[in-house]
Amino acid sequence: MTAAAEPRVVRRETSPVLAFLGRRLLGGLVALFVASILIFAALNVLPGDPASVILGRNATPQAEAVLTKRMQLDRPAAARYADWLGGFLHGDLGLSAVSLAQGQHETVWHQISGPLKNSAILAAIAALFMIPLSIGLGVIGPIYSGKAVDHAISILSLGAIALPEFVTGSLLIGVFFVGLDWLPPVAIVPPGANPLDNPSELVLPVLTLLFASLAAGVRMVRAGMTEVLQTEYVQTARLNGVAERRVLWRYALRNALAPSVQVLAQNLQWLIGGIIITESVFAYPGIGTALVNAVQNRDVTVVQSVAMLIAVVYVLLNLLADLVVMLLVPKLREPA
Amino acid sequence: MTDRSDDQPNGPDLLDGRFSRGGLLKGAAALGIGMSPLLAAACGGGASASSPVSTSAGAPKRGGQLKLGFVSGGTAETVDPFIGVTPIDEGRIQNLYDPLVIVNPDLTTSPGLALEWNPNSDGTVYEVKLRDGVVFHNGKSFGADDVIYSIQQMAKPANFGSYPFVSGIDVANMKAINKHLVRIPLKTPDGDLAANFTYYNTWIVPARQTDYKSPIGTGPFAFESFTPGQQSVFKRNPNYWVDGKPYVDSLKITSITDPTARLNALVAGQIDGLAQLPFQEAKAHQASGDINVLVAPSPQAMMFYMDTQKAPFSDNRVRQAFRLIADRPALIESAISGFGTVGNDTVGKGLPYYDESLPQRVQDIDKAKSLLKAAGQENLTVEFQTSEIFPGFVESATLFAQQAKAAGVTVKLKQEPANSYYNPSLLYLKMAFAETQWPMLSLKYFYLQALSSNAPYNETHFKSAAFSDALAKAIGALDKTQAQNYWNQVQQIQYDTGGYLQWVNADWVDAVSKNVQGLKPHAAGALGNYLFMNAWLT
Repeated sequence: MTAAAEPRVVRRETSPVLAFLGRRLLGGLVALFVASILIFAALNVLPGDPASVILGRNATPQAEAVLTKRMQLDRPAAARYADWLGGFLHGDLGLSAVSLAQGQHETVWHQISGPLKNSAILAAIAALFMIPLSIGLGVIGPIYSGKAVDHAISILSLGAIALPEFVTGSLLIGVFFVGLDWLPPVAIVPPGANPLDNPSELVLPVLTLLFASLAAGVRMVRAGMTEVLQTEYVQTARLNGVAERRVLWRYALRNALAPSVQVLAQNLQWLIGGIIITESVFAYPGIGTALVNAVQNRDVTVVQSVAMLIAVVYVLLNLLADLVVMLLVPKLREPA
Repeated sequence: MTDRSDDQPNGPDLLDGRFSRGGLLKGAAALGIGMSPLLAAACGGGASASSPVSTSAGAPKRGGQLKLGFVSGGTAETVDPFIGVTPIDEGRIQNLYDPLVIVNPDLTTSPGLALEWNPNSDGTVYEVKLRDGVVFHNGKSFGADDVIYSIQQMAKPANFGSYPFVSGIDVANMKAINKHLVRIPLKTPDGDLAANFTYYNTWIVPARQTDYKSPIGTGPFAFESFTPGQQSVFKRNPNYWVDGKPYVDSLKITSITDPTARLNALVAGQIDGLAQLPFQEAKAHQASGDINVLVAPSPQAMMFYMDTQKAPFSDNRVRQAFRLIADRPALIESAISGFGTVGNDTVGKGLPYYDESLPQRVQDIDKAKSLLKAAGQENLTVEFQTSEIFPGFVESATLFAQQAKAAGVTVKLKQEPANSYYNPSLLYLKMAFAETQWPMLSLKYFYLQALSSNAPYNETHFKSAAFSDALAKAIGALDKTQAQNYWNQVQQIQYDTGGYLQWVNADWVDAVSKNVQGLKPHAAGALGNYLFMNAWLT
């Protein structure tokens, strides 16, 4: 038999990475679809006619009839849901319910794009510090296991986990504004301006976010690192005389990181939740403030779109984490 | 059921001697810790004495930007005068536009864009003479067309803020007699039409203005930019018809929802003034003196109300007994830190036609008990629906429940969610015993909306032919003495048989930094009634 006898078929088998990601993507899409139904149902189908909810004390029968027509609330809920989801998929978030009640035609996107950008900047800066700090502090602990540094990191991170953002924020204001008068207590970003134009106003919000999200990451990396340092291959490497630095960075850290990536992804999601509270403490004009305002104004279309966007970000972060884990752990890249 | 007094941290424990008092108070405020009334009193804050604010610091100075923080209205914030709802809307609208009639700090009125209101003999047609020489921000001169157009807008039922004020006007038949004279026919007689045109929902826009993305007005400041829920910037109107005003070059109004963040921004100098300072913070800062607390006595009414159609309140003896149970000074002292004067169940103290002759109602437990006994309601148990929607609501309800025990009445508190409390499809106008708050500009304003036969917000479901008759006559009377007589009848009926228990005329409590001059306490609204043309910076 010669090689020519066997037809040289290009194996069309999908790469395992793509197959894995495909599965995850599909799962994410299903999750988002379910989330969209829940969000829409919670805001539109539950008791309390949206028109009267939006108008509140001003819900005269005339005003209610006008708004019902403007919001097309006379159409069946299923049709309105299909319209909303279809629009969302095309990047059209629809019109703000409150602006409709006022006889205006303000789009939801126009209302939230500015705050969304502000929040993205705040979250990005926090993440920029959070990821290397989580890894750095998490690795240092086990290396100096039982020493003062390790204890200090453990105690601080335990304390930080116990404090919710509004307490951390108030404490930081107490120290850096009331006590030392170094930093402004409120981050007033004019509409359309870049938050980075006034970096001193961003320091306390970023610190608040870091405190709350950093601790869990540090503890997770520390746990992973401790475990890996006790494995046989690390012991063997040490006994073989491999330099300690190489043992730590080349053997231990890489294996300790894989589980930590998932945790870091969760931390980023936690950070998004924390942003809503942090923005309120510092009056920062981001998506959290926009969401709180929309809830208070009962602007159902804004609330459902923001909730959906947050769900999308969650799913994307999970996908990203899966991808990073794949790259870190070679085993996952091979076909089953 | 909550006991709000337990939520307060124990103030005196904080005094461990390591902090100066001023520093401590600043710290307490910045950390969002409410002070107990006890500590505030210990620190020397007077009961409701208004602090010496904005005393003259020489002649007004021109220039600078006045930066103010208000409670956010979210993206519903608007500069359309006919649909404005929240104080931040009021603050903006009162600086972009002008009223036909100006309300003075003592609640008397002066001519605004309208100089004279001349009714015919039976008060069914008015000729209104307008001010000459006023120009809009775009240079167009102000005249009769603008007034007619504005009233037409106000009369649209969808414009819920303005509609009640002009519902008696025959809108289709208004006429411009000349550039500065308008003829306004009415559907029902009105003895004082001018009183309908003070509230900011009735201020004047130029004819044919439909777009409120970049609106025009005649006000002291002209529109520059506005992002609802975030910030607006207005610039000085150099052609304003009041000489020399405004003093500052521009006005920046920022939405800051969180009360602690708002106060922090003021203390840090990021803003120069704020509306709606929480009562306990006001006490603390009056004592520390680091900022100027503006306290304006006002007829703003905070009330309990009883549905006169629902048992047990359908029996007037029960309603009267409840009015006698309330220890009003104690309610004011503990629920709103003393920032108000006692109410007498007939709203509008200090306003024209308010009946000062009615005796002040005071607590009388014995009489309340005998009334309840006569009504067969000894050992009565009632549910009291309250909400955190306004500061002082839950606190006053809690204290009233305690006071009622002395008369053998068990008051069960039920705390309702803020966003359904004023929602007619959920709770509003369906509660038998609850709380409410009304800003107060004229007796007519309140009675038309809350107690007339077709009142949209008839909280007490009060129905009486004699009352409706007296109210129509009071509104229609042209002669002031006659009008006063009818208004006295109206108030006597409410005093004797109404469903409102008004325990306080609440003050406006706001704050400005030390460098802001010229803003004076004003009974009609917060922050010197938003008259920022009077403010200058040192």
